Amino acid sequence: MQVYLPIAEMSVDALLLLGIGFGVGWLSGLFGVGGGFLLTPLLILIGIPSTVAVGSGANQTLGASVSGLIAQWRRGNVDFRMGAVLIIGGFFGSLVGVQLFAWLRRAGQVDLAVAIFYVVVLGSVGALMVRESLAAILRRKRARPARLHEHLWMHGLPFKMRFRKSRLYISVIPPLGIGFAIGVLSAIMGVGGGFMLVPAMIYLLGMPTAVVIGTSLFQVVFVTANVTFLQAIQVGSVDIVLTLLLLAGGVSGAQFGAAMGTKLRGEEMRALLGALVLAVALSLLWDLLRVPEALFVIGPVP
Amino acid sequence: MKRLLAALLLALAPMAATPDAVAQEAALAPPSLAAELSVNRVEVTTAFSGSEILVFGATERLIGPEGDEVVVLVIGPETSAIVRQKVSVMGFWVNGAAARFNRVPSYWALASTRPVPAMLDRVERAELRLGLDQLPLVQLGAQGPTFRLALADLQQDAGLWVDRDRPIQVSGGRLFHARLPLPATVAHGIYQVQVMLVRDRRVVARQELRLDVVRTGTAAWIADIAREQPVLYGIACIILAGLAGWIGSVVFRRG
Repeated sequence: MQVYLPIAEMSVDALLLLGIGFGVGWLSGLFGVGGGFLLTPLLILIGIPSTVAVGSGANQTLGASVSGLIAQWRRGNVDFRMGAVLIIGGFFGSLVGVQLFAWLRRAGQVDLAVAIFYVVVLGSVGALMVRESLAAILRRKRARPARLHEHLWMHGLPFKMRFRKSRLYISVIPPLGIGFAIGVLSAIMGVGGGFMLVPAMIYLLGMPTAVVIGTSLFQVVFVTANVTFLQAIQVGSVDIVLTLLLLAGGVSGAQFGAAMGTKLRGEEMRALLGALVLAVALSLLWDLLRVPEALFVIGPVP
Repeated sequence: MKRLLAALLLALAPMAATPDAVAQEAALAPPSLAAELSVNRVEVTTAFSGSEILVFGATERLIGPEGDEVVVLVIGPETSAIVRQKVSVMGFWVNGAAARFNRVPSYWALASTRPVPAMLDRVERAELRLGLDQLPLVQLGAQGPTFRLALADLQQDAGLWVDRDRPIQVSGGRLFHARLPLPATVAHGIYQVQVMLVRDRRVVARQELRLDVVRTGTAAWIADIAREQPVLYGIACIILAGLAGWIGSVVFRRG
């Protein structure tokens, strides 16, 4: 069944969009990530212009994260105080990111920038996650007790704050910085940033795994809302029909994923997520390196 | 156009006895060409997945290389486009030189009973812009014919420029019809449909028809709001996405 997307100005198979939405939503519920890092490349792959894929991807991630957030909230897995600090950073980050995106669009390098961001960010995060979680799995097999979290230099910074739910007493500067960086990435990549936020919260902030997913979803909801708003105003690239179709599949998938996620152990889950992130990065890298099918591309005048 | 008709009249004048006789004959004789569109309006709705333009009509004489021949040209609203060349930089394929084209027809389609170059000579083809190589494009930025060729290739791949995809069908010797495909990505606006009658390597009659491609229903409404009220639209997108997520979590709640 074909459906016409008013902003993308093209028609796409509605069932295909529902299917993509379901698959991405399932992963989103399973790993507690928005799934935007899979969604945006998939949309570009089926021919949606990068600008619309990024704008609508952020919008979809917002919706998909709401259902995940509600599920986590019920289990009491959200650290609202930490979430608020991350959101403040994320708000400014997305503001900067959308300006950068609009500038790249005028320069005609959006496709390249989006692809490079994906390869670099997903590649490094994926590799890091796989390595760490494999090490953790091996350590567990040897049954050596692990520390609650490492104390890094950044925990000695000023403006300390107590985060009860995360059992942390740390400076607000690292979470603000992380929030900002995720905000920038969110605007350029059309992602919520959960796939980066989750490892950053675990390894950099030392938050317990239990509250990480809920808190990251909390931040993702607000930052993607900001990105949606800014993209709609500045770039005009949010396609609500596309978003709602993806969400229709996504919200159902997310609930199935969330139910399944509770059965998996933390390390295995992180290893799987890392492998998935790495696979997406490698396929995008391949797209940049192989000889393109068309040596010319046509685009609208920005 | 007027110049052309004047030239045609001059060319025909020696054949007739007096100019008066020509005028009288033209008034009494049946029209040498009659053409019509099956629809004058194509509506782009949320369920739009492409359409086609059906042009049909009849000629005075039998259609064939010895008699009348028909050419149909459809030109959509003009737009601008940027064509970028992909270049390899340190092993990565990136967008390199770019050429901007102005006055690009967003849709262009040509159909004829016989290949146009076999019917009309070069000068006439250029005058009537019958051929992708005859489009009056304005090229800015990177120069060179490769960009123009690439534009034509890409537009043809997208189905937006159609150069004699299927010939005009003839039935009963004098009835003709042409089907021109409109892909789902067509721009909205006014489409000029020109039907030309070629006789003895000259265009002897011409009929202009108009086709409106309009966005209607929800699709048009959404696009209008997004363009005119971006703040409202942005907020609506946030609320709708959040609501859809929340409803989903209620509907699909497990356990």
